[in-house]
Amino acid sequence: MALLRRISTKPAEWAYIVARVRVMSRKLIPREDYNKLLNMDIHEIARYLEESEYKREIDELAYKYSGMDLVDYALSLNLSRTYSKLIRISKGVPRQLIVQYLRRYDFWNLKNIIRGKMFGFPREEVEATLVIAGEYDEQFYRALMAKETIEDIVKTFEGKPFYPILDKLVKACPLAEFEDELDKFYYQSLTSISPETIDMKYFLEFIRMEIDIKNIKTILRLKTEGAEMDEIVPKIVPGGYQLKEDVARRLAAMELDELMKSLEGFWFHEAIKDVLREPLSRIEVYFDRMWAQKVVSKSHHFPLSILPVLSYMLLKKIEVDNLRILARGKAEGLPTEAIKEQLVIV
Amino acid sequence: MAEVQPTRMELIKLRRRIKMATRGHALLKMKRDGLIMEFRDILEEAKEVIGGMVEKYESARERLAIAMAADGVIAVKSIALSCHTEPSFTIKKKNIMGVVVPVIKREKVRKRVSERDYGVIGTTARIDEAVAAYEELVDAILEVAELETTLKRLIEEIEKTKRRVNALEYRVIPDMEATAKYISFRLEEMDRENIVRLKKIKAKMAKT
Repeated sequence: MALLRRISTKPAEWAYIVARVRVMSRKLIPREDYNKLLNMDIHEIARYLEESEYKREIDELAYKYSGMDLVDYALSLNLSRTYSKLIRISKGVPRQLIVQYLRRYDFWNLKNIIRGKMFGFPREEVEATLVIAGEYDEQFYRALMAKETIEDIVKTFEGKPFYPILDKLVKACPLAEFEDELDKFYYQSLTSISPETIDMKYFLEFIRMEIDIKNIKTILRLKTEGAEMDEIVPKIVPGGYQLKEDVARRLAAMELDELMKSLEGFWFHEAIKDVLREPLSRIEVYFDRMWAQKVVSKSHHFPLSILPVLSYMLLKKIEVDNLRILARGKAEGLPTEAIKEQLVIV
Repeated sequence: MAEVQPTRMELIKLRRRIKMATRGHALLKMKRDGLIMEFRDILEEAKEVIGGMVEKYESARERLAIAMAADGVIAVKSIALSCHTEPSFTIKKKNIMGVVVPVIKREKVRKRVSERDYGVIGTTARIDEAVAAYEELVDAILEVAELETTLKRLIEEIEKTKRRVNALEYRVIPDMEATAKYISFRLEEMDRENIVRLKKIKAKMAKT
C-alpha cells in the first residue's frame, strides 16, 4: 500500500490493459438480452448460460452442485476468474490498483472465515462462501481455515496494516463492529492514495463516489430502523465524495422524511427522487444503477485510465448479479415485475 | 342393585350422595361451559396469530428469495454464519379454571440492524429485510406454539369434563336415583309387610 501513496501514471501504461478490457467488455451480455431473459423460464436461462461465457464453470461444478446452487456457484466462480485474469494480464501501477480494489474480496473472505471459526461452522460451508478474487489464493485460505483458533488466524496477518483491527477482535470486540472497521479500513486504504495525475484523480473519485453510495445506504438503513445519530456515525466510511463525515453526521441527526428531502443536491439524488417512498431494498437498486451509469459515462471520458477497467469490473459484477437475480427469481417463482425491479441494467 | 342393603341409613347416605353428585354435576357443567368459552376466545386469537404467522412465512420466503437472488447464496450463507443466537425463552405456568397452561416468556428475536452480529457497511438492505422477516417469523412461531399448547390442554380438559358431566348426568345420578327409589320402595314394602304381619298377629290374638 505504501507504494500507492504517491502514484503517477502515464497514459501508455493503461493502453494494454484497457485494450484487453475492451475485448472482454464485448463479451458482456447486451442490455437488450435482459428483456429476452426476463421472458425465459429457468431451463431456458440455464441453456442460455451453457452457451455463454459461463459454460466452463457450469461444466466444472456440475459434479458438485445442481439446480440453482450450480448457477450461483458457477456465476461466482466466473466472476472470481475474470477478476483474477485482470490481475494476471496487468502489470505495474494498473495491477497494483486492481489488486488494491479487489482486496474487498480478501476482507470478505477473512470475515467469513472468522465468522465460521467463531460459530463452529463446518469447513465446507465456510469454503463455499469464499470468493477468490483478491490478493490471496485458494491455498492461502485453505491454510487459514485449517488454523485451530481465531487467534491463530489473526497471527497470520501480523505486520499487516489492518492487523490492529483483527487484534481488537481477539480482545472481545463485537463481530459487527470488527466487520465495519475492516470495511472502513479497506476504503480508507484506497482513499489515502495521493493522486498526481488526472486519471488517478478519477480513480479516487470513483472510490469516493462508491463511499457516498455506501454511506447513504448505511444512513437510510439505520434511520429506517430508528437508529440514533450516535449509532450511525461510527458506521460512516470517511472520505466520501459529497457525503463526507460532517455531512453524514448532519444527515444522521435528521428525521427520515427530512433526510430524504435533504438529499436534493447530492449527485445520486436524481436516481431516487421519484422513488423515495419505496422499500429500501428497491431504493438501493436505484443507487446502484445511478452509480454504474456514472462510472460508465466517466470511463468514456477517460479511456486511458483505470476507469475503463473499473467500469468493466463493475459491469461484470452487475452482469453476474443480474443473471443470478433472473435465474433464482424464476426458480423461486417470483413475479417478473419483482425480478425486473431488482435488475441493474446499464 | 341386589347388593344394596335396603335400609334407612343406606337411603339417607344415598340421598346425600345424590345431592352432592347433582351439585358436582352443575359445577362441572359450569366449568365445561367456562372452558368452552375460554377455548373460543383463545381460538379466535390463535386463528389471528396463525394467519399472521403464515403471512410472515410467505413474506420471509419472498425476502430470502430476493436476497439470495440479488446478493447471492454466498452472501446469504455468509450472513447466516453470523446469525448464531438461538431464541431464548422461559416457560411459566398459568391456571385457567384448573387447567395449567404454559406461558412463554420470551425475548424478542427481532433485532435492530445495529444490534445484529454482522457489519452494516458490507451488507445490503435486502439482507436486512430477509433477516428481519425471519426474526419476525420466529417470534410468531413462538407465539403460535404458546397458543397451540394452551388450546390442546383446554381441549383435553374440556373432553375430560364433558365425560364427567355425561357420566354424572346419564349414569351415576340416574343409577343412584334408581337405587334410592328401589330402597324407598323396599322400605315401604317392608313397612306394609310389618303392618300386615301385625294385623295378622292382632287377629290371631283376638281369636284366642
